[in-house]
Amino acid sequence: MKQSSVVDLLLLLLAIALLATPAFSDLVLSKVERRIDVTSQIARVTKTLKVVNSGSESVSEFILTFPKFLGNNLAYLSVAHSEGKGKSKRTLVNLSVREADSKGIPDSISVYSVTLPKSLSKGDTLTLEVVAAFTNVLQPFPEKITQGEIHLVMLQESAQYLSPYAVESQSLSIKLPNARIESYTKLENTKLQGSELKYGPYKNLQSYSYSPIVVHFESKAAFAVAEKLVREIEVSHWGNVQVTEHYNVVHRGAQLRGEFSRLDFQARPNPRGASAFRHLLARLPPRAHSIYYRDDIGNISTSEMQSDSKKTELLIEPRFPLFGGWKTFFTIGYGLPLSDFLFASEGKRFLNISFGSPILDLVTEKLIVQVVLPEGSKDISVATPFTVKQFQEIKYSHLDIAGRPVVVLEKNNVVPDHNQHVQVYYKFSNINLLSEPLMLISGFFFLFITCIIYTRADFSISKSSPTYLAKLQWDEVLATLQEVQSIIQKCLATHDKLEASLRDLSRTGDIQTCKAARKSTDSLLKDFSKELKPLLGFLQSSPIASHISPKVEELVAKEKELEEKLMAKHTTVVEGYEKKSSGRDIENRIASQQQKIIALRQEIEDLLEFIDEI
Amino acid sequence: MAAKPIASPIPVALYPTLSVFTLAIGLVITAIFFIYEATSSRKNRSLGKELATSAVASVFLGFGSLFLLLASGVYV
Repeated sequence: MKQSSVVDLLLLLLAIALLATPAFSDLVLSKVERRIDVTSQIARVTKTLKVVNSGSESVSEFILTFPKFLGNNLAYLSVAHSEGKGKSKRTLVNLSVREADSKGIPDSISVYSVTLPKSLSKGDTLTLEVVAAFTNVLQPFPEKITQGEIHLVMLQESAQYLSPYAVESQSLSIKLPNARIESYTKLENTKLQGSELKYGPYKNLQSYSYSPIVVHFESKAAFAVAEKLVREIEVSHWGNVQVTEHYNVVHRGAQLRGEFSRLDFQARPNPRGASAFRHLLARLPPRAHSIYYRDDIGNISTSEMQSDSKKTELLIEPRFPLFGGWKTFFTIGYGLPLSDFLFASEGKRFLNISFGSPILDLVTEKLIVQVVLPEGSKDISVATPFTVKQFQEIKYSHLDIAGRPVVVLEKNNVVPDHNQHVQVYYKFSNINLLSEPLMLISGFFFLFITCIIYTRADFSISKSSPTYLAKLQWDEVLATLQEVQSIIQKCLATHDKLEASLRDLSRTGDIQTCKAARKSTDSLLKDFSKELKPLLGFLQSSPIASHISPKVEELVAKEKELEEKLMAKHTTVVEGYEKKSSGRDIENRIASQQQKIIALRQEIEDLLEFIDEI
Repeated sequence: MAAKPIASPIPVALYPTLSVFTLAIGLVITAIFFIYEATSSRKNRSLGKELATSAVASVFLGFGSLFLLLASGVYV
């Protein structure tokens, strides 16, 4: 690793020496300020470039170059140009950047081409803001340390800005973590102020100027790298966005040499184990709920959560502290309210969710984001602020028939700068929401239908055996009995109606309606007795019902008697009203009948109960 | 181009209550269905009544179990 970068450097210097063609010399960089932040494991470079066109032709393209050993590790690059005058009015506008072919430029240099917002004519100036993040450029040195040693890393850069254009004035400042600085390359105009190392300003530099510097310092940052991170984002229109993240985390700092002593680590964590990290902090969106943290064994209980209205912070502690080269695997999951992330616009719906991992300062070597949309989503498209590899899959989950469409986004070398929102657009009709309950309903209905069929099915093997025939007959008897019962019940209900008409009569004195009620009950009761006749005949003829039929006959007879008494009572009362007798007189006349009626009714109910128990 | 947030058709907070009530109603109707099956004799059992009861019961049980799933965090 180290050797190859040294070879790279040599090649680079050689190429620069050989380079004679001033192909891009029309532009001049009047001022270059570079700031490199190496307080975390990522080297974050911000540059302010003041570009002046000194040639006669207008230029619409700007070339950005990095030494290849940096360019290969470039994770994130964004170029913006500031519009408006004055510090407060400045707004940054992102420009499109693409990797360009290095024609006329040596192989040891990575080339990126920036399209300028408007072509620069002679004498025009433009200020560009470049943000670049590099991973793996902080080389641990020494490469293997023991538990007690501190973690030293090395940064290689150029004190002079490597550019195809001539530079009039340039300066570089490196922000180091607030810890020990082992050594740094001393050039002219080199200053170390606290934890900030300054080179320059250097004036009037040729194009492709290069002067290598090496800074060797202690880093206390967590070199946590997710070798693979799978984020599954499942959208449910019933009100939830479920995020599940599977991490394969490794410590990419200096490897641990020798053995690990838990006792030393626990007793004096500083400095015995300074190179290890024990926590990771995930900043989840606000209102995240149902959060879990587990691995293959099960729940990991060492996590802490704090939430307020702006964010939810989850501090997770792996099962063991991670030293250089150690790996761990875990899964975190959480639910998010649907209305915070899903929106409707122009007949389409879109999910607006952040792309990268919520864990702070984590580098992801391979990130796979799977957005699982509800079943029945159509016309899926994705909008991302940077290029990602994308394709579609089908996933089968709860209560699915056709499967859910899954949008898979893949990107290598992801840094926290990539934590920008991506939008997944799709079309979905709310009718499709009903498919899940319908499936459950049809499942239950199928169960009931099975029961209905079962009760109707005949499972006897021998259809001619005497017990089977007897059972059939007995079933028939039972059915007849039930019919008799229901008819008697109906008769009793009709009697009640007749009684009610009498009560109405005493209240209103309307004889005509009472007579009409009498007529209708008469015909009803006649119908009932007609219906009863064949049933009684069947019961009498059936040998198996011989012990029941007398009871039934008794019941029918009692019912007839009750009917007659009731009719008699009715006639008496109506006549009494027609003759305009006093209420007391009528009551006296029907008193004896009334008693008999109550007694009969009681007997009938007893009989019904007896039959019911058969 | 104003993006409007989309919420669930029924507020998420109502799922537990809804699930209890719909499941209770569903189970009562199921009980009525099975009582009818057990007590009526084979001859005068009415298919229409059976189908109607079972349809109503399965609608309530279906929605009840859906709400139960949602309330317990299985977002289907």
